[in-house]
Amino acid sequence: MSVTTDAAAARPAAEVRLPGVGLFAGGLTALLALIVGIPLLMVVLMSLRTGFPGEGGPLTLTNFAAVYSNSGTYKVLGNTLLFATGTVFVALLFAVPLVWLLMRTDLPFKGAIYVLMTVGILIPVFLRTIAWILLLSPRIGLVNQWARQLFGMEQPLLSLYNIPGMAVIQGVSFVPSAFFMLAAAYRTMDPALEEAAYTSGVSKLQTFLRINVPITLPAIAGVMVYLFMTAIAVFEVPAIIGYPARIIVLSALIFTSTNPPTGLPNYGLAGAYGAVMLAAGLLLAYFYVRLVQHGKKYTVITGRGYRPREIALGRWKWAALAFALLYLAMEVFIPFLVLVWVSLLPHLQVPSAEAFAQVSLENFRHIFDHVGALPFVNTAILMFVVPTVTMVLSVLVSWIVVRTNVSFRGALDTLAFLPHAIPGILLAVGLAYLGLAYRSWFPVYGTVAIIAIAHTITWIAYGTRTTNGVMIQVHRELEEAGKVSGASTRTVLGRIVLPLIAAGIFNSWIWISMLSYREVTMALTLGTRKNVVISTIVWQFWGNGWVPQVAALGVVLVLFAVIVVGGLKIAFGHLGEWQS
Amino acid sequence: MITIRGLKKWFDTRRGRVEALRGIDLEIGEREFCVLLGPSGCGKTTTLRCVAGLERPDAGEIEIEGVTVNAPARRVYVPTEKRDIGMVFQSYAIWPHMNVFQNVAFPLVRGRKRFGKELVAEKVRRALHLVQLDGLEDRPATDLSGGQQQRVAMARAMVTEPKILLMDEPLSNLDARLREQMRVELKKITRAVGVTTLYVTHDQAEALSLGDRVCVMHGGEILQVAAPDEVYARPANIFVAEFVGEMNFVKAKIAAGSVECALGSLELPVPPAFAAAGAVTLAIRPEHVELAAADGASGPLVGTIASKNYLGDAALVEIEVNGVTLLAKLPGDTEIAVGQRAAVVLRPERWRVFAE
Ligand SMILES: Nc1ncnc2c1ncn2[C@@H]1O[C@H](COP(=O)(O)OP(=O)(O)O)[C@@H](O)[C@H]1O
Ligand SMILES: [Mg+2]
Repeated sequence: MSVTTDAAAARPAAEVRLPGVGLFAGGLTALLALIVGIPLLMVVLMSLRTGFPGEGGPLTLTNFAAVYSNSGTYKVLGNTLLFATGTVFVALLFAVPLVWLLMRTDLPFKGAIYVLMTVGILIPVFLRTIAWILLLSPRIGLVNQWARQLFGMEQPLLSLYNIPGMAVIQGVSFVPSAFFMLAAAYRTMDPALEEAAYTSGVSKLQTFLRINVPITLPAIAGVMVYLFMTAIAVFEVPAIIGYPARIIVLSALIFTSTNPPTGLPNYGLAGAYGAVMLAAGLLLAYFYVRLVQHGKKYTVITGRGYRPREIALGRWKWAALAFALLYLAMEVFIPFLVLVWVSLLPHLQVPSAEAFAQVSLENFRHIFDHVGALPFVNTAILMFVVPTVTMVLSVLVSWIVVRTNVSFRGALDTLAFLPHAIPGILLAVGLAYLGLAYRSWFPVYGTVAIIAIAHTITWIAYGTRTTNGVMIQVHRELEEAGKVSGASTRTVLGRIVLPLIAAGIFNSWIWISMLSYREVTMALTLGTRKNVVISTIVWQFWGNGWVPQVAALGVVLVLFAVIVVGGLKIAFGHLGEWQS
Repeated sequence: MITIRGLKKWFDTRRGRVEALRGIDLEIGEREFCVLLGPSGCGKTTTLRCVAGLERPDAGEIEIEGVTVNAPARRVYVPTEKRDIGMVFQSYAIWPHMNVFQNVAFPLVRGRKRFGKELVAEKVRRALHLVQLDGLEDRPATDLSGGQQQRVAMARAMVTEPKILLMDEPLSNLDARLREQMRVELKKITRAVGVTTLYVTHDQAEALSLGDRVCVMHGGEILQVAAPDEVYARPANIFVAEFVGEMNFVKAKIAAGSVECALGSLELPVPPAFAAAGAVTLAIRPEHVELAAADGASGPLVGTIASKNYLGDAALVEIEVNGVTLLAKLPGDTEIAVGQRAAVVLRPERWRVFAE
């Protein structure tokens, strides 16, 4: 996930000069500019218009006036900031110690912790949120039910329905991405920097404060900005916990403006709210890129064959393991167990002899009756089309950025990174507006294609980061050696380059497929009756209060993801061997 | 003064136990420059890091200036920051968030002994002068060339005037010419300061030119500790002979006072230990293989030049004699050419004899 917007600069002496490369690169740049730019343009356009999409009319600032003269808006902005700050705080609270424990100490079961952290990514945030509600809701939550039964408590023991509660659930869900980003930064830091301080006679505490902290600060700051940028736009936790409790944040407001529970959608208001979010997102993205580049200056080439000593935790070993387990419990074990338990019962109840007597697989048996085949078909289409199109585009973009000397390759790279900064919900609202207002030009509203387009645009940033990295690794001379042996350009690409980059591309393909599979915000924003996918079905069930069905479908959703990713990793694990 | 006794260190890895050090004994005298030399993976870095306290040995003892700093059997361990040492790392480990001055001043400001502002400035100035970086105080660390980083690392390691200086392949990341230049300077600087130095390298030329003594290691053990000329002229065994400089090897049999090999019967002073050994290996340096015109006056050994490798100041020539290929080092301007025949003169006192 590390950002290398200057991948182009990393290889200044690129010298591929094929006829038509410039033309091709120009076409690709134009295509990206269109698919990234138009939805953004739509957000701006809708904010300047009133009435239904497509009604035209003069451009006006009415929406902005309505939004920003309303004191409620500032309350929402305040909530958003508090929620985002809390989320970042919680995420770093877990991620920073975990990075240090897994990278530098002799913590036991590191491999298993890594795997479970990956499983954590595969549990969609909305399912984790639902599971925690089932546990901690003041009224129906299992913990609070149990407290009532046992101690006759009137007041709920614990409640999630407040900003700290939301921040904890969202923050915990951010830990894996924060962890992997920080770990990547940490890996490039030379441990000798620390040891040089010890040999200078500097104490461990002073070394930590004056060497480790300042050197890792740009990386931590970069991750903070990234998480913050993501947190101001997330939708699932705010919608599932915040909205019912009347804690409204910006994303929920944008969503309800375009999908109101009653009344007509108001795209103008959504655009006016979205404009703030977009501005904030782009500003934060700018800082993020700056920080990452600053941090890169600090990475030093490590001496050859050098392995840092693992710090012996000694007596603290078990405390550290308990910390890791606490995190994994919140992220993986507890949510999953709650879902499994609830899915086996006809209605939500705390474990008891009576409850155990009712355990059955009934809910699983009826999934198909409730759902039908359509969401499965649609989801399968997304899972195949989105990663394929994204990776094809990414490979083409990276090839131009890394391997050619086209003058605007830097701009192309930036363009491909831009979706990173665009909140998914805005992208979806922009596309929805486009589909509604310009139906004849863009006749995909209400189809699964529009969801696929939204997903592809979003993940092209991730896709190109991976393919840039992979292509930089495949040294140019490997290609040239092929040409010198007399192979044609096509043979070189097919027989040398492709096999070398296949593992990396395959990996991202799986991930993007999984991200598309579990994505709900965009699918929901763009959803109609025809393009339902599994994640939006779960969401609808939850809205209808069909708790055991939600749990059953959720369990299937998670198990399927784990089996697919696990199976593919095992089956094709050897693909990546030479990259280790 | 550094004393190392019976030092052992192993690593438990996923592929089983790696015995990095199998019992190292070494004494390094006051102000001595001692070089640890050996192929990659022989345990040089591990030894150095044990002395620095960055690695904890599993057995044995280390004393620095008479103070025991490692003795696992007695649970003695002095942490790195309490040892009076300076260290130069292979990657230099220049702190990237500080400028040159801050890097060099750090040990004086935050280290064992702390000094006042003025004294720090003076000591840093002197240290930078020593490594010829005068006036670069304000340069950010990230704007330094490899050679400059190397010098900053040296200055930082010596600014506290430690009794012991440890260096792990400090020149290996520099390009060839700069390496030669720094080698000479390094020797001058350590001489001038008079610090006890333990220096790790896998480059035999570096070891021979820098060391007061060279310690050749292999597979976690010490094979020979001696002055450079001694190591070169009288290698303790075949491995040292092969690793340090070029060497010709010939299989031979000892029979009744003389030595029989493919080159014929040689009259050599056979060390008494080998008198009854039977099979041995003979070794001679290329510069001791002399060639002469193959005329009537020549001895019994005549061969054909198989290849010639011109190096400017010297030429390396392969000559085939009785089915044995010998490498000879001749002056660069030798007229000898491939295909010519030449007589080979091998002086008996130049041969070394090793167990097979
Ligand atoms: N942290 C470590 N974990 C496992 N094995 C190690 C570690 N450090 C060194 N080794 C092993 O110990 C041996 C000696 O290593 P080292 O001292 O670095 O050799 P040198 O510096 O002479 O190249 C090698 O076989 C190496 O693989
Ligand atoms: Mg080494």
